[in-house]
Amino acid sequence: MSENTPGIPESSTQIGVDQWVERSDENIERRRGLAGRIGHLWELIPPAGKLAFLTPAILVPFLPFVSEGNLFNYGLFILIYALLALGLNVVVGFAGLLDLGYVAFFGFGAYAYAFLSGTHSNKGHTYSHHWDAQWSILVAVVLCAVLGLFLGSSSRRLLGDYLAIVTLFFGQAFVVFTNAADPYGITNGSNGLANVDPLTFFGFKIDTTRGYYWFMLGCVVVVLIVLYCISESRTGRAWKASREDPLAAEMMGMPVNRLKIMAFSLGAAIAGLAGSVFAAAQTGAFPQNFSTQVLILIYAVVILGGTGSLTGMIVGAIVIIASNQVLDSTSPPNVARVLFYLALIAAVYFTMRGSWVRLVAAFAGTVVFGLVVHAIVDAVWSRGTAGQVTSGGFLTGLIRNWVLLPTNPGRLAVYGYLLMIVCIIALVQLKGWWRLVVLVPTLYLTAFVWENLLVQQPAVTRYVLFGALLIAVMTIRPQGLFGTAKVEIG
Amino acid sequence: MNDDLRQRLGNLGGLGVALLVWTIYAVYFSPTQGWVFFFQLSVNGIILGSVYALIALGYSMVYGILKLLNFAHGDVYMIGAFIGFGVLTLLGGPLNPAIPVALLVLCMFVVAMLGSGFLGLAIERFAYRPLRDAPRIAPLISALGVAFFLENSALLLFGAQFRNYDGFDLISYNGIHLGGDNGVFIQYLGVIVIVGAFLLMLALLALVHWTRLGKAMRAVSFDREAAAMMGIDPDRVIAATFFIGSALAGAAGVMFGLLFSQIYHLMGFLAGLKGFTAAVVGGIGSIPGAMLGGLLVGLIESWARGYLNGNVSDLVVFGILIGVMLVRPSGLLGTPALKKV
Amino acid sequence: MRKYLVAAVLAAAVAVLASAAFGSTKSPARQSSAGSALVKCGTTRTIGVAAPITGPAAFIGQQQLRWVKYYVKRWNAQKANAKKKIKIVQGDTQLGVDTAFAVKVAKSFASNSKLLGVVGPAGSQEVVASTSSYKGGGLAFVSGSASRTTLTDGHTDGNRRGFFFRVVPNDSIQAPTVANYISGKLKAKRVYIIDDQETYSQGLATGVETRLKAKGVNVTRDSISQTDSDFSSKIAKIPSNTQIIYIPWQLVPQAQAFGQQLKAAGKGHIKLFGSDGLFAPGAWKITGSYDSFFPIASGDPIVKAYAKAHKGDGEFFGAPSFVAAQVVINAVTKACANGTATRAEVRKLVAKTKLKTSILGLPVAFSASGDLKGGGFGIYQIQSNGSFKRIA
Repeated sequence: MSENTPGIPESSTQIGVDQWVERSDENIERRRGLAGRIGHLWELIPPAGKLAFLTPAILVPFLPFVSEGNLFNYGLFILIYALLALGLNVVVGFAGLLDLGYVAFFGFGAYAYAFLSGTHSNKGHTYSHHWDAQWSILVAVVLCAVLGLFLGSSSRRLLGDYLAIVTLFFGQAFVVFTNAADPYGITNGSNGLANVDPLTFFGFKIDTTRGYYWFMLGCVVVVLIVLYCISESRTGRAWKASREDPLAAEMMGMPVNRLKIMAFSLGAAIAGLAGSVFAAAQTGAFPQNFSTQVLILIYAVVILGGTGSLTGMIVGAIVIIASNQVLDSTSPPNVARVLFYLALIAAVYFTMRGSWVRLVAAFAGTVVFGLVVHAIVDAVWSRGTAGQVTSGGFLTGLIRNWVLLPTNPGRLAVYGYLLMIVCIIALVQLKGWWRLVVLVPTLYLTAFVWENLLVQQPAVTRYVLFGALLIAVMTIRPQGLFGTAKVEIG
Repeated sequence: MNDDLRQRLGNLGGLGVALLVWTIYAVYFSPTQGWVFFFQLSVNGIILGSVYALIALGYSMVYGILKLLNFAHGDVYMIGAFIGFGVLTLLGGPLNPAIPVALLVLCMFVVAMLGSGFLGLAIERFAYRPLRDAPRIAPLISALGVAFFLENSALLLFGAQFRNYDGFDLISYNGIHLGGDNGVFIQYLGVIVIVGAFLLMLALLALVHWTRLGKAMRAVSFDREAAAMMGIDPDRVIAATFFIGSALAGAAGVMFGLLFSQIYHLMGFLAGLKGFTAAVVGGIGSIPGAMLGGLLVGLIESWARGYLNGNVSDLVVFGILIGVMLVRPSGLLGTPALKKV
Repeated sequence: MRKYLVAAVLAAAVAVLASAAFGSTKSPARQSSAGSALVKCGTTRTIGVAAPITGPAAFIGQQQLRWVKYYVKRWNAQKANAKKKIKIVQGDTQLGVDTAFAVKVAKSFASNSKLLGVVGPAGSQEVVASTSSYKGGGLAFVSGSASRTTLTDGHTDGNRRGFFFRVVPNDSIQAPTVANYISGKLKAKRVYIIDDQETYSQGLATGVETRLKAKGVNVTRDSISQTDSDFSSKIAKIPSNTQIIYIPWQLVPQAQAFGQQLKAAGKGHIKLFGSDGLFAPGAWKITGSYDSFFPIASGDPIVKAYAKAHKGDGEFFGAPSFVAAQVVINAVTKACANGTATRAEVRKLVAKTKLKTSILGLPVAFSASGDLKGGGFGIYQIQSNGSFKRIA
């Protein structure tokens, strides 16, 4: 059955041949070379070691753009999301359960901490517990674990898709619940809980961003170590087994249901910890802090990093959250601009990697094409290029002479955006020289859309990019950066 | 009578009894009593339910054929609503339309349905087809990515301001009075929505049961490999399914816009969840189930908003879903799935 | 395994101690002198503007921003201010989406060392949420629209006296004005009140409800949420013989949709009554509806010039922000008279503001609690051409 029947994948298995034995010579050869040896060594290093190598390498591109004050702020968010990703990794990566309501645990932890370590009054009731952080965080984490247990127990009867649905509703229910105007004023509805104490441990107060950063770093290190130990232990192996084939695992005597509940519980506890510190750092907890956007961000981190891999979580958190913060509306636009053009160049490199000629042609062609179009439009329709570069800084001159900047982009930018999507879709279909021919105007169009529409709303653009990232990673490399490729049999 | 049919009839029977008990309680024993109030809420619920049913149909069809939960479906609905709004504005707006109103509304529907349909095709081709044989988690996450992408693209392109269809200005504020001035009032627009949704559902049933494409769809959803061996091209059938499901969602979007006026980029999320609830409650994979589920969810939401306070209505709807799923995981009209070992 | 656990516990202890060491040395210095850092003024001074520039309440935020920019333009154009120019930093608080954005904006303003004062935020719930950030940074923040009464009473929603000021009368004046008009002028006997579950709305709704009930009017209270679009069930609950529905909401498109659905349900004869958040000619167009709004002297030459420069639209909702900018910029300029200034100085000068006239039609001075001295609310009605005409 090697003919291509549509919809059925081409099979590469042959009858009577053991694939592993066939390839073992190949594998030994591969491991002998220098690159092979290094690759082999790399695989042997535990996650902590890999992180020690990778973290500085990834941070370097971002450093020139970040001011001293912001560094700890960005770092804090990266660490919070890294912690969340580690927790979600337990549920999705280790145990293979799709939990779409994870952000509810994050929110629950934050609200529990805010309630116990702060003061607020609503509907005539005043709640003014000012517990020390060690107790309120402990209570928050324990409550979250119990909540995770409760949600996990619903996974007994539900598999795969249905579990995803129920957890999604759980997440929604949390937002609705905190938004609802309750009679005792516990959650303070959509205004959230505002006067939250900073972390206070036995009298030591942490109220600077720097302080929170170091504390979070400590938390992440501890959780990383604990998770590494667990993943190498019996429980970790049982989770992996139940992820790959629950029925076989059950036959082998593993209590699959109990394992699932444990995974949910542990993931929830970690999220609760992250939530408490988040609430303390923000001195408040608001319902919309735990919306679907946050969930998608956490998923983007986990998927990019690679489900099941601890190193991947940290690396993914750095890449995604750093981009997230850089593309924020309070950051100077030039930072985003430089990163955008760098990303474009990287994208072109990956698309045209096959041939040097095509690569050079792509870059040169785009520049020339742009200049030509600019000159033509300048001559024909002066309003087409009379617009302003948004916060160009040192790049203004370059951009103004290359990209079309109409005085009133409005509709044009919208049509440009739609056209750009169509072109990208076409690009994916084409191959060879045709691809190059379509790539050049597409690149120019992308720059046009960026300068006229996207750069003015970087905060929304980043979410568009993250959505596209999820799709791209899943279709091109489902195991992410550091995960292991999975084989689905049958 | 085989087991399947017996269980379905049992489910329907249980549903009927529950509804009867509820009706009696609401009319005679609840704090806000009265037939009129109950019927008004029920009418509103059926109108809302028709919209949800159209969304649920898309979910059901796609799940039946691909076993995939298409989270992006709600956002296709949202894009349909915006396309309809675009057509409305291009042709003069609700207060002075450039062409006769009936033609304008028809135009809005057709363009929105076509636009959403093609959007659905594109989504299937790029986000789901490469993942046809990947582990189940992969297309779900890809769907999340598509949903996020669409929502934020809409935000980018249309802005965060709510747009208003002003549907009543366009069509009419009048309606049918039942039972005098203090009785039940059904707007003409509401009637149009119910009739339109009903016609679309009939068309879909006709397609599925009386055309070759429908037979091919049923075959592919039953066993893809066998259907391929019989000479059916699964890719084309799946594409057609997505097109039809998305077109229905686009129609639902225009209907919502006409009825409730406000459209914004996040409207797809909650409506998608509810349409999804409807599909699951009715039995995912079953077309009559999706219709029944949609009507039920609309009714429950309307009653919850009328008799209970504020935001609790959303919680009630979700709570009922979870309850139904724990008791009857395959829904009211679905087939209990047997897992093959 | 045990080795790892010991290592983990040690690491945690180190982290906590490190953070305490790094943290606590900074805090005493910071807390006692919030805002006492000396800033060199130079020839361009910076103020912050916190408003909902995007989001469902963008309509009002953009108006406020434009009015502030108008003031700054006029200020910078004067020859006398050649060496005292003003620069503004915008912060998008996205009212109606998430209060957390207001907190983020407040924090970024507080950490901007050149920033000396803030105009905004717009919503009362944003004021509550961002107070601790502004106080921590020692910044004065003057709002042109946050009108909830309890913001300035010093205890109910927190104490922000000396930091928070507002150039509009608060709801303890708006509520009685509305209640008196409804029961006195309109002589309504059956009133329905619906709030949108936000602080601002609930405060006003409760204020009007208690006063109307004291006058013997039949009042029913209900609520919707800011994300609702389907009001059909709520409308079904409203009896047909209701005379007025009071809707003190923040989001204009919601009010417009509500009015249309009301009419579509055959209850279009019931009149709507809105509050200052719904003052939006052209966006809220339910003819015959009433609205209460702050005082603006529509005959003032500045207001007329603004309207001319903006296609005839006076954008009254943003006008108090013009006055707020005036207050902040005057205080900053006075503080910078000797070349340097501190935020604490600016705060004190804002508290002592005395403007003889303003486009509000009255002099501007603040009471000890931060409220505007004097001022009442006007009642407007929507005409068939969409404009708001003042009737009381």
